[in-house]
This record gives sequence, structure tokens and C-alpha cells, in this order.
Amino acid sequence: MDVVLILKAVGALSLIGAVSAILLGTAAQKFHVDVDPKVQRVLDALPGANCGACGNPSCFGAAEGIAEGRLPVTTCIAGGQEVADAIAEAMGQDACAVAAVTSCRHCGGGTNAKLAYAYGGVRSCNAASKLAGGSLLCPYGCLGYGDCVRACPFDAMSLDERGLPIVDLVKCTGCGICVTECPRGKSGNLLELIPVTGTVAVRCSSRDKIKARRDSCTMSCIACKKCEKACPSDAIHVIDMLAVVDYEKCTACLSCVAVCPQNCIDVTGRASKQPAAVTDGAAGSFAGFAPTLATVALEEADEA
Amino acid sequence: MSSLSQLMLLFVGAALVNNILLTRFIALCSFFGISNDMHTSIGMSLAVIFVMMMASTATWLFYYFLLKPLGVGEFLYIPAFILVIAALVQFVEMYLRKYSPALYRAMGIFLPLITTNCAVLAAATEAVKPGFFKMNMVYDFTLGENLIYTLGVACGYGFALLSFTAMRERLDLAPVPEWLKGTPMAFITAGLLSLGYMGLGSLFGL
Repeated sequence: MDVVLILKAVGALSLIGAVSAILLGTAAQKFHVDVDPKVQRVLDALPGANCGACGNPSCFGAAEGIAEGRLPVTTCIAGGQEVADAIAEAMGQDACAVAAVTSCRHCGGGTNAKLAYAYGGVRSCNAASKLAGGSLLCPYGCLGYGDCVRACPFDAMSLDERGLPIVDLVKCTGCGICVTECPRGKSGNLLELIPVTGTVAVRCSSRDKIKARRDSCTMSCIACKKCEKACPSDAIHVIDMLAVVDYEKCTACLSCVAVCPQNCIDVTGRASKQPAAVTDGAAGSFAGFAPTLATVALEEADEA
Repeated sequence: MSSLSQLMLLFVGAALVNNILLTRFIALCSFFGISNDMHTSIGMSLAVIFVMMMASTATWLFYYFLLKPLGVGEFLYIPAFILVIAALVQFVEMYLRKYSPALYRAMGIFLPLITTNCAVLAAATEAVKPGFFKMNMVYDFTLGENLIYTLGVACGYGFALLSFTAMRERLDLAPVPEWLKGTPMAFITAGLLSLGYMGLGSLFGL
């Protein structure tokens, strides 16, 4: 047993440890960056998953933004109301409601839309849209290759039998990743985040001429303004030849759904008046494919 | 071993022939963990080059000026190096946070992660001990050779990671059978890529 060697080994490691400790200790004081205690409190309130859904690189980045007042206390999308309340408390503010949004598709194309050519390439919307603007005659329509479905980190989207993405409103957190992933989101607003109270949605986002819309799809908005006239609460307007719903005013009376000659306005499943529906855009809830359901919903609304 | 051609050979040998990821299978955790996204991979590669160069310089100095003169280097180098690397990365993180917040944000989460990256420790230990790369040759790197060697290892790491990430990004679009999607396909791809890198070894006879 070589005692000297053992002592040397212990000594060497202790020396390295001591040097590191002194170095780090000095550095911690010399390079000390004051962290706002508010930042720490907000950080404690955040989930700490660093998911990036809010657009910040980490929860720490978001906490800094919130503490500085750059970002609202409702910044954390994944956390929802619970986290927003906790942050509001940490910030010394009154709790405020999360403007909760979920993803909504503005296209009823799918099997209704006519094809411009047969596409046989990589099954990706982003790839397909690069080839002469996609295989649909309508340059704004949903291509249906499911880039949004693959991009969704919460498994909230799926493609239905019509090749259109449908949104599981229970799983959807409104992170907006599908919106940025959708190639049509860059040119138009095929996917959009709408309030969780948004009962109706216009399933068309075409900016084509009306004739071109009629030629390319049987479900397009033709800007006939019937919905605008039918709406009792001034909530739907034809703006730039496309019907747009104002969710602040919409009372979910479903008058527009009933009068739309193109069956282009749809019940989204978000309304409290439709108890079981939690999937936005599913074939069953789609006015154009199941006109009876919209009527049923209308009757229920009348009864209530 | 100091002429320019030999230094270049050292670099190529470390980067390609003995690629740390695909020939020696070190640091595979980060290889599979972050190769989903090109942006992240680039960040990680640059951070690894930065940290590895610094860490191996520090460990080289500690080895030749402290451990070796004391005669304890033979068996103490691994714990000593872990200590040095951990302390160093912590220090650099503090320094960057104070004097270069932009770089600190860019490196973000990678710096603390790299502290525990086995590639850094492997490069540092191989530089001072006869190992896989030196083929049991008893040969001491000078500080310059050590730097070239480490740069080679780090560049090899970056190159392998980036090429693998590019492949995985394309694999996401490819018609892969459902039961092979994701990590299984990534493992198969990495295996094929590794075979390619092994071919380099016999090509140069290094």
C-alpha cells in the first residue's frame, strides 16, 4: 500500500476542487447578474416544460418578458387559466381571463374542391404547394396532406375521410403551430386561431374572383351577403368578398348557417349549445355534408 | 508528428476516420436527442466545438502540470477531468451571462447540457491517454496537437450530427412504414451511416 500515492491523489483532487470552488465563488460574485425577484416568482408559477409554444426560447425567457411587462400574464399557452392566475398573483395583478383560442380551418374543400392536376409527389402540403401552387384549382384551399396534423405537438388534429384536418377542441391549446406550418397560412388564413366561444366559422378563405371560386369548389363563399342580412346581431360581414365572423358580437343564433346557399358557414362544435361536439370541422358537424345536423342545432337553439 | 501534413492527417483522422459519433459510438444520446431539428443541431454543434476546445486545453494543462508530475495521472485522470470540465463550463456560463448576453441566449440550454456530454470527456481523455484513437501508442500530444485533435473531434461531431439531422428531416417526409416511423427508422439510418464511416477507415488505412 503506497500511502504517499494515496495522499498525492487526494491532494491533487482536493487542489482541483479548491481551485474550482474559488474560481466559481469569485465568478459568482464578480459576474453576478441581478435577477429580478419578480422573474423568479413568475418562473416558479410557469410549468417549466420549456415547450416554446409562447414563442420564447424557454420558460425563463417568458418569465423575463412577463416580469418586464413586455408580455401579458396570459402568455403561457400550455398552462391555460390556472397558470395565468398564478402568474397574475406573482405579478400582483388581478387575475384575468385567458383569451383562449383554438385552431379553426377556413376551408370546406376536400372532396368538394376540383383538382387542377394529379399530384404524385411527396405527401406534404408544403412540398405540394411549391408545385404550381398545389394540385387544387383553388389556390387558397386545404391541400389535405396533413402538415398541420404532423406538426401538432398535442395530437389534437387529424385528417378525416374528406382529407381535411379536424381539430380536437379538448386537446387543442391554441399554440398556433399548425397555423405557421400550413403553407396556406402564409398566403391566406386557411387555419386561424378563433376564440373557444366561436360557434360558427366560414369554411372558405378564398380571395379568388367569385366565378373562379364557383368553378373550383362547390362550397366556396360567393359573397352573396345573405348571412350579413340574416344576422340579427350584426356579427357577420362580407369583407373583401369573403364572409367574416365577429366573435365579439356573435350570439350563436345560427341564422347564418341556415341561410348560406353554399353551406359554407358551419357549426364549429365550440358552442355550449352543442353539448357533445368537441371536434371542430368533423364531417358530422359540417353543414354541407350533414345539413340536418345544423337544422337540429338550430332547433335546439330555438328551444333553449 | 508536427509537419503540416501530419497535423492535417491528425485532424482528418479525428474528424472522419475515427468519427466520435459514428465510428466510436460516443455521445449518442445527444445524437438521437436533438437531431430532429436543423436549427437546434447547428446550435449544439457550435456549442460543442466551443466547449470541447476549451475543456481539452484546460484538462491538458491540468494533466501535464499537476497530475503527471505528481505521478497520479495514470489512474486519476477521469475524475480529475470531470471536475475540471464541470467547473469550467459553469464558469464560462457565468462569464457569458455577464459579458455576452446575446451569445448566452444563443447557446441557451446547450451549455449546461454539454457539461455532461461524454464526447467532451472522451476527447479530453484520449488526448492524454493511449486509447482507441492512438491504437495503444504511447505518445504525448503537444498542446498544439491536442488543439488540432480536439477541433477534429468536435468538427466530426458537428458534421455527423448535421448530416444525420438533414437525413432525418427528409425521412419525416418519406413513406416509411408506420411501425418504423420515428426513432426505429433513425436507428436504422444511423447504422447505415455508421457503416459508411467505417469504410473510411479502410480507405486511408489509418
